[in-house]
Amino acid sequence: MLRQAVIEGDVPASVSAARTALEKGVQPVDLISQGISPAMAEVGRLFEEGEYFVPELLMAARATKEIFVILRPLLAQAGSKPMAHVVLGTVQGDLHDIGKNLVAAMLEGGGFEVTDLGVDVPPERFIAAVKKRPVQIVGLSALLTTTMPAMKTTIEAFRAAGIREQIKIMVGGAPVTSKYAETIGADGYSETAAASVDLARRLLAV
Amino acid sequence: MNDLQWNTLVSVVRGEGFSPLPTAFIIDSPWLPNWAGHTILDYFTDDRIFLDDNLKAIRAFPETIMLPGFWSEYGMCTEPSAFGSVSMWGEDEFPFAKKVLRSPAEVELLEKPNPRKHGLLPFVIKRLQHLQPEIEKAGHKIRFAVARGPLNIASFLMGTPEFLEAIKTHPELMHRLLDVVTDFLVEWIAYQREVFPSIDGIFLLDDIVGFVSRRDCEKFALPYLQRAYAADVTVKFFHNDAPCKASAPLLESAGINLLNFGTQHTVAEMKGWTNNRIALMGNIPPRDVLAEGTPADVACSVTEMLSSLDDRSRLIVSCGGGMPPQAPTENIRALIATVEELTR
Repeated sequence: MLRQAVIEGDVPASVSAARTALEKGVQPVDLISQGISPAMAEVGRLFEEGEYFVPELLMAARATKEIFVILRPLLAQAGSKPMAHVVLGTVQGDLHDIGKNLVAAMLEGGGFEVTDLGVDVPPERFIAAVKKRPVQIVGLSALLTTTMPAMKTTIEAFRAAGIREQIKIMVGGAPVTSKYAETIGADGYSETAAASVDLARRLLAV
Repeated sequence: MNDLQWNTLVSVVRGEGFSPLPTAFIIDSPWLPNWAGHTILDYFTDDRIFLDDNLKAIRAFPETIMLPGFWSEYGMCTEPSAFGSVSMWGEDEFPFAKKVLRSPAEVELLEKPNPRKHGLLPFVIKRLQHLQPEIEKAGHKIRFAVARGPLNIASFLMGTPEFLEAIKTHPELMHRLLDVVTDFLVEWIAYQREVFPSIDGIFLLDDIVGFVSRRDCEKFALPYLQRAYAADVTVKFFHNDAPCKASAPLLESAGINLLNFGTQHTVAEMKGWTNNRIALMGNIPPRDVLAEGTPADVACSVTEMLSSLDDRSRLIVSCGGGMPPQAPTENIRALIATVEELTR
């Protein structure tokens, strides 16, 4: 029920199904692992196969986001740990957010805790977020060829701050390629938002 | 664009064979000013730099067609500015149009702008009017009315994720938004044609069309593209370098007869999806090959593309998208030379 509602991007039905499941005693962590995560994996598959497009992906992401509004306090209360903490942002000079938003939703649906720093994020804000509390992955997004170099600048800033080795850095965005990711010293590149979950898992070897 | 280049373009659109095959590039602010040694903001704000940079490119590559030709533009800000969108500028950055609608409901408040008076549009027209004598003295004419497409403008007014979500959650309001935008577009195109009678083409750029399913394309893109392209002109040129598989079969029914597409699909696939009824302009990888490769990489990519094709009709060799930032002169020359060598 919940799985299908998320796949269909039906926000009210997703929230309602989540509430019903919780009322019936389903644990929040099980709701994620058995409902949301497989649903978002299916959404990703449908996108990769060309059956789903960006609006369908956004609606599924919205459904997931709304469910997490309910789940987050329950997870905190239960002391449940997310798979990992990911800090995401569109790099300095770039105001586009569609790719970053999709990645955030896919990762959250995949069981990661996501801190979204927004758009036009300077390196020092990424660094501050990593220093503030434990972070395993930093995700950098750019839509413009002109702002891609800010990814490199950000990675170099992590190095200069002496915390590069503490984190894995993944990059993505329309103009970014795996070759570019390698050149700037990123740990991973994802061509699509849907593939970012697998990439994050691979980076953490989970 | 001079008469010979225009006639070549028209002939390709009509399916006439060429030897060698023509080459063409969309050139605009992401590539041209930096290539010519200026900042993007200087290019936007100085008529002389705008003219000189365009002439420099045209003269550097006389064998190729530069499209749409003397495109007076302010990046993505041109049309959104008429709706009251704040334009954000950096010295050497692409300008960005801030969204004006904070929720789908605000569409009800949106008014159709007047292209003669609102935003940057009078500046677009005046720039071309001021430069028209020199453009024509150089042997060129203004051939295209140019604008961002209806979905692209709508996505700037609302924000792209917000717009794409709203076509699912508030379809009627999004139709209203697209109606207002398209009514404006039709007037904007008509105004350009009125001021420059040499215009015999419409060029719309709309990547957002590539983000939606075929079903949504039929509902939210096709009717508006049909209206935007309804004017009686010879060349109806469309740029969408996002994925095209869902939209490609529909484009002919919008009247489009020339398409610049991305690198997600091969020329052969696109020919199949468009029944070879639309002239195709593409699709050497713009960034990885044309901008960042070597001339040998470019030659290799062109050779590979041409050798994969049995039918080279209705084809203009270009990159899959607009000319990418940092594309060097030697790579552009390599593309042109390889096409000449292989198709002569």
